[in-house]
Amino acid sequence: MGGEFEGVVRLRRTPHARGGQALLEFAVVLPLFLLCLIGALDAGLWAVQTSAEVSAVQQAAMIASSAGSSPVSEKAPDARAVTAAISGRLHSALFGTAIESWCATDANGDCAPDATEQCPVTPAQVEAADGPRVVVICVSEADPPACTKPPPGQTSPWPTGCDDSPMITVRVIGFVASLVPPGFGPGAGGFELPTDISATTHTLRFAP
Amino acid sequence: MRRSRRRSDDAQAVLETALVIPILLFLVCNFIAVMVQVTVQEQLNSATALAAQSRFQAPESAIDPVGTRCCGLHAATLITAGLPTGCRYAAETFYGTMTTYVGLLHWTAATLCTSGGDSGDAGNPPRQPVGYTGSPTNADVSCDIGSITAAGVVVRGYVDRALDPPAGLEVVTCTASASLDFSNTPLAWGVFWTPTIHAQAEALPPPFRQ
Repeated sequence: MGGEFEGVVRLRRTPHARGGQALLEFAVVLPLFLLCLIGALDAGLWAVQTSAEVSAVQQAAMIASSAGSSPVSEKAPDARAVTAAISGRLHSALFGTAIESWCATDANGDCAPDATEQCPVTPAQVEAADGPRVVVICVSEADPPACTKPPPGQTSPWPTGCDDSPMITVRVIGFVASLVPPGFGPGAGGFELPTDISATTHTLRFAP
Repeated sequence: MRRSRRRSDDAQAVLETALVIPILLFLVCNFIAVMVQVTVQEQLNSATALAAQSRFQAPESAIDPVGTRCCGLHAATLITAGLPTGCRYAAETFYGTMTTYVGLLHWTAATLCTSGGDSGDAGNPPRQPVGYTGSPTNADVSCDIGSITAAGVVVRGYVDRALDPPAGLEVVTCTASASLDFSNTPLAWGVFWTPTIHAQAEALPPPFRQ
């Protein structure tokens, strides 16, 4: 008799209890599951984007070091030309991210970073200037010191390295679009991750 | 009886969660670590390839004068006086490109400039390159290069006999190795391996070299 009564009670209460427990478990597990899922997706996305940036920057460095100016030029190639050359490759991987040139045109309409216009140092600097989810392509050139008459006891060329070819640096820096929720990532408004990839090479000079 | 069964169910649920969450986080940590490794490998490949090509941006017979040194950043200062200028160009390019993730890398020290490597074939045994006299041995990249000394002596670089056999072509080959260490990152919680990454790149001299 008691066994039958027990059975009735169990039929009435157990489904409620189990349903509540399942709901609680679900509520605990779902955010964790989503966190892991989004984390894994973002890591994959970030790797694809960074990989595209690395190869694009390498290509840009080769372009910047060998074209756009004469072999004895003391001026970096126009950043807009370099941007145009590699933006197709970047656009295919950096979806949701705007790609811009980092330059200010001078009186001649040229866009060539020099000593007065340095590349941005941090992704936050790009965000402050151009807004969220923007990466910029910056081309800068480091020229060797001018050669002068060597002081007594020193050999020409003087100073050391004055006859080096200039060094070109191409940098892709800013924030790329991602799935990071607002408040969790280093970006100001969320949905972005910082990126800073650069490549440096000496310019190619042809035999006279 | 009923109470103890419910307690048992609760305990089982807690146990399941306690087992699943660390496993899930462990998998995510390792997934992220693999992605980081792929990215660093890409960058190392790029830096090594640019370094090899950069060797040819210097005049072939140029020698670094006394007092020449390079390169800043994470490298110790490398004294390149007496070495082919192209060797310093390669180093400057490598260090200038390998600027990110350096905190995760433990480099394998190498001789910056070597010469005389040979890939070998049926009639020629392969040869390991030897270091240039005076070449720094604490570099993160090593380039096997050819040049002409100030005295006009031809120094052989790396001969790749797979290219234009059997005489081969003199190319520049640069290598770099490092281990990736996650111990100072949050990933150290679930990543217990330290992968070694390696990159090698060859470059051919351009036809109109200075």
